[in-house]
Amino acid sequence: MTTDMTSPSETPVTAATPATTSSIPTMLTGNIDPAMMLVRSRGVTKKFGGLTAVNNVDFDIPRGSIVSLIGPNGAGKTTFFNMITGYYVPTAGEITFDDRPITTESKKKVRSKKPHEVTAMGIGRTFQNIRLFGAMSVLDNVRVGLNVHLGSHWWDSVLRTPKMLREEQAAIDEAMDLLRLVDLDKRSEWWARNLPYGDQRRLEIARALATRPKLLLLDEPTAGMNNSETREMTDFIRKLRSERGLTVLLIEHDMRVVMDISDRITVLDYGQVIAEGAPAEVRANPRVIEAYLGRGAAEA
Amino acid sequence: MSASSEAIGTGIGAWFGHIADSLGGMGIGYRRSLRKSRTRTVILSIIIVLGLIYPVLHQQFLAEFSRNVFPLPLPDDTAMTFMMIFAIMAVGLNIVVGFAGLLDLGYVAFYAIGAYVAAFLASPHWAGLGINLTFLGNVGPGAQGVHLPFWLVIIVAVIVVATFGALLGAPTLRLRGDYLAIVTLGFGEIVPLVFKNLSSLTLSLTLGPIVIAVNNVNLTGGVQGINPIDPPFLPFFNILFDSRSGPLAVYLGIFLLAIAVVVARNLQFSRIGRSWMAIREDETAAQMMGVNTVRSKLLAFALGASLAGVAGSFQASYLGATTSDFFEFSTSILVLIMVILGGVGNVWGVIVGAIALTYIDKTFLPYLGQRVQDSPIPLPNPAQYNFLVYGIILLVMMRFRPQGFLPDRQREAELSVIGLADAEVAMGMPIDVDNVSIAPPGQDETGPGARGPETIDEARDL
Repeated sequence: MTTDMTSPSETPVTAATPATTSSIPTMLTGNIDPAMMLVRSRGVTKKFGGLTAVNNVDFDIPRGSIVSLIGPNGAGKTTFFNMITGYYVPTAGEITFDDRPITTESKKKVRSKKPHEVTAMGIGRTFQNIRLFGAMSVLDNVRVGLNVHLGSHWWDSVLRTPKMLREEQAAIDEAMDLLRLVDLDKRSEWWARNLPYGDQRRLEIARALATRPKLLLLDEPTAGMNNSETREMTDFIRKLRSERGLTVLLIEHDMRVVMDISDRITVLDYGQVIAEGAPAEVRANPRVIEAYLGRGAAEA
Repeated sequence: MSASSEAIGTGIGAWFGHIADSLGGMGIGYRRSLRKSRTRTVILSIIIVLGLIYPVLHQQFLAEFSRNVFPLPLPDDTAMTFMMIFAIMAVGLNIVVGFAGLLDLGYVAFYAIGAYVAAFLASPHWAGLGINLTFLGNVGPGAQGVHLPFWLVIIVAVIVVATFGALLGAPTLRLRGDYLAIVTLGFGEIVPLVFKNLSSLTLSLTLGPIVIAVNNVNLTGGVQGINPIDPPFLPFFNILFDSRSGPLAVYLGIFLLAIAVVVARNLQFSRIGRSWMAIREDETAAQMMGVNTVRSKLLAFALGASLAGVAGSFQASYLGATTSDFFEFSTSILVLIMVILGGVGNVWGVIVGAIALTYIDKTFLPYLGQRVQDSPIPLPNPAQYNFLVYGIILLVMMRFRPQGFLPDRQREAELSVIGLADAEVAMGMPIDVDNVSIAPPGQDETGPGARGPETIDEARDL
């Protein structure tokens, strides 16, 4: 199914004007069965006071794909991330994940699942600026991510019941497996804050994976990395998709990374979708060039 | 799952097996630390053993010596029992302040509720209303009022106080930082006032067919409080632990403290303890990693409060009386100072803090006061300036050892000069100010359900 996504002929590019953004999903779903969408959002809008950060965005993420969300600074990418994860409640619109609603709109009031509930549904994320629990061990960072899947209560902890001990041991085993995956098992007792920068990025991903996500949201995973580190990271993201069947949504400023690993790219500008499609098509899109480089560059 | 996870069996048998293992593990651990740092381990062991036999030594020999031969500032039974009471409270407050990082300035309210639960359940107080119930207490059947055994009283106190902790926490824990502290401060003021003023309650309520009418009922004993309260009592052995029982009450205190320590340590190194730490480190990130922050904080509040309930009911039973005067705002602050002085987040540290401050309060300052009174020169009585002394101690500590006597490793790191933010800057991370202009504080228009960022920093960090 992922090979379908990479084929340009099946995913037409859409250079829509703001007025016709709602036509994108119809064109998109014309090619892809709606049931194959892991995330569907309809008319998602977020206003902060008088400022519209995200405006009427329809955005779908096919299962098993790597999708990038790009756009100039202030385009509303992170705001959109924060609505998927339940951190912001949208002003309007609906988001469903895995056929279950994250936000629902009724009687002009939008309700949203809380972040920890969204995490339990199967969405893990990393942060633009690393937000590890710095003074906790690498292992404990990952164990916090496993929290949603632990069933023991506080009284189990107080009494050290066999159930709790068994669960904790299983959690440690699982956390160590994840640390091996990101090559940090040798440093499991280190404090997260003492890790080198690249290791911290990988630990954040391991922590997100510990929530056993179906969808992994990566907010600029290669920021501040050199070329070889960036290549390692993109290989790693591909591996996650192929070996764990993850769907990945990426915010990234490094265009080489975006063009390299994305199956689909959605471009936001001033809170609106201005283009959507396969990497090659998006790259050639005049509206995208205009948004990034200005009108003159687009006409040249 | 690995073989190690399957090795742990099921059921009560496995549980006892595990307890035995941990006790065995303690022995191994002791031998290891003896090998690693012999002097330190030996000195610590001697201090602990001396501390454990001190109450008996004091009763048999030292009190006599101090009275007749040479006056020394030695803590007596009452002082030692109060050390244990305050240590239990410090361990409880440490769960709230140290583990979860929530500033609670009204902790005394839970102490008061615990004491009044004991007063309600083990005193002749209700005889005036014609309620008489006696069960396994140290008073014979047919006594006036309600007399439940101490152990039951403690359990009820824990449940009641934890409920109040949750009730206070539920509406307030969405607040962060200063706001929470102020609400808890108010709660700490209200509760003792309620106990002070509910001495003649007149009330008539009609709820459909149910009519509740009370006329001039003395609910809390008002300013006089409630007494006598039954002392702690061990049935079958017929042992009383009252203020005349000498070291026995101290040992009961040590026993209760030991339970509190086991509870606190087991919570600290468990799933919930990790959630608390994560919330303290970065609440937003914790939330995003699936930690139910409101529930975790509520648990911290309720569990921390319940230990104050233990301390309160033990204190009331031990003294045989309770009045609202015991539960002033200064007590909340005193316990907080114990926690800060001992080392926020470290269970052993806060116990040391509690013992040290109670010693100064109950033994050293009164001793000094006595010496001053005996001296020919008129000097102010230092016992009246106890809070001045705590203030000075706190100032000196903050200057020279802000992390406390026995700091928590993690807490110490949070206090250290180079914070995480500095480290990020030092690493040359690009700071993307994407969201600063998008979410100015206070302009989020998504209504009361919104969980928007509260500061610019937070908006930027996401």
